[in-house]
Amino acid sequence: MDVAISTLLSPIILFFALGMGAALLRSQMSVPEAFAKGLALYLMMAIGLKGGVEMSKNPLTVEVMLVLLAGVVLSFIVPAISYFFLRVTTKLDQTNAAATAAHYGSISIVTFVAATEAVRMSGLDSSGHMVAVAALMETPAIVTALFLANRGAKRETPVAGSERGELIREVALNASIVVLVGALIIGWIAGEEGTARVEPFFVGLFQGVLCLFLLDMGLSAGRGLRQGWRELSAATIGFGLYMPLVSAALAAIVVMMLGMDTGDGALLITLAASASYIAVPAAMRLALPKAKPSIYLTLSLGVTFPFNVTLGIPIYIYLAGLMSGAGG
Amino acid sequence: MYQRKRIELIIEKMAHKRAGRIFESCGMTGYTVLPALAGYGGGNRWSRDTDISASRDMVVIISIGDVARVTETMTQLEDLLGEHIGVVTVSDVEVLRPDRF
Repeated sequence: MDVAISTLLSPIILFFALGMGAALLRSQMSVPEAFAKGLALYLMMAIGLKGGVEMSKNPLTVEVMLVLLAGVVLSFIVPAISYFFLRVTTKLDQTNAAATAAHYGSISIVTFVAATEAVRMSGLDSSGHMVAVAALMETPAIVTALFLANRGAKRETPVAGSERGELIREVALNASIVVLVGALIIGWIAGEEGTARVEPFFVGLFQGVLCLFLLDMGLSAGRGLRQGWRELSAATIGFGLYMPLVSAALAAIVVMMLGMDTGDGALLITLAASASYIAVPAAMRLALPKAKPSIYLTLSLGVTFPFNVTLGIPIYIYLAGLMSGAGG
Repeated sequence: MYQRKRIELIIEKMAHKRAGRIFESCGMTGYTVLPALAGYGGGNRWSRDTDISASRDMVVIISIGDVARVTETMTQLEDLLGEHIGVVTVSDVEVLRPDRF
């Protein structure tokens, strides 16, 4: 309960609530677009560097490799489960259900960052390799979703103007993946000593920048919800609230099986429970352009993201504590 | 002054490179891409600052050419717009330097 209250009352979450409330009340407040993109880059670099430095301190063990593999497997499996629930409980067609499922199999790096902070505030430790797990979990979901969407309905000829490899470029080389993985490698190579000179920028300012970014995310979530809520049925909104818990339960079993500690376990559960709203929406516009962004983006950004950063993360930390105890 | 055709294509930003390739492959000598700020269509409002993925952003592409090239371009744009969100119009315009279009 203490974790839940301290998470909910942290400046990060309160700034998110401020942004969301302002957008829902139709405030004119906005964070300039280029500035928001700069903030996102900064956060990816900071979290990647931190993860890389932590990884440089410890060897790559079999246990770490298993966690990386578990993340990839979860990212492949969760979209199939999401698709099943969407098709059974909502009226979404094959394409929209598959596109939405891709978002829930992939991850939200901002939710991951918020969870990392919540884990730290709870007095728990987390490992640097969890950043690599996050990066690896971004894209497998897209493969599963494309398979689900194209079953029996694939176009024989490519869309006019499309180019071989454009989707792979979009998925594998999108800005968030490149910066996150790049910073992770740089942190790994440079180590603690090498990154000491940039620490004041990437560590000292991190909390403040995260507050600014969450304010912008709140505005985005509120605006998305305000503009797209008409497309969402009660069953679809329900999916946006229960699917993170289904994914979390699945990841919790993995945490127990691998005997992960509470901090890392909470982050793996959060990654599985989070839904993408940066990399996957862009990929879906190229791969499944007939799917409606007003459904999948409103759901992941306007429903699941607020749920995860407010109520979800404390639940996931608690769940990880239970599973770590069960496994240990 | 010389008569030419002007294509104005409003299309989702993620597909603008596909549209650009169509213009180039059909022999259009140039095109310009402009950002769109906000709009309404298909029962939904959208604005470019709604989400960080920019996947709902729209752009406007303007290109000028002769009738034959514009007709060929429109045929391919029809296929593109069968998949992607967008609107295309063709209008008559007058140009000063016909050799450029």
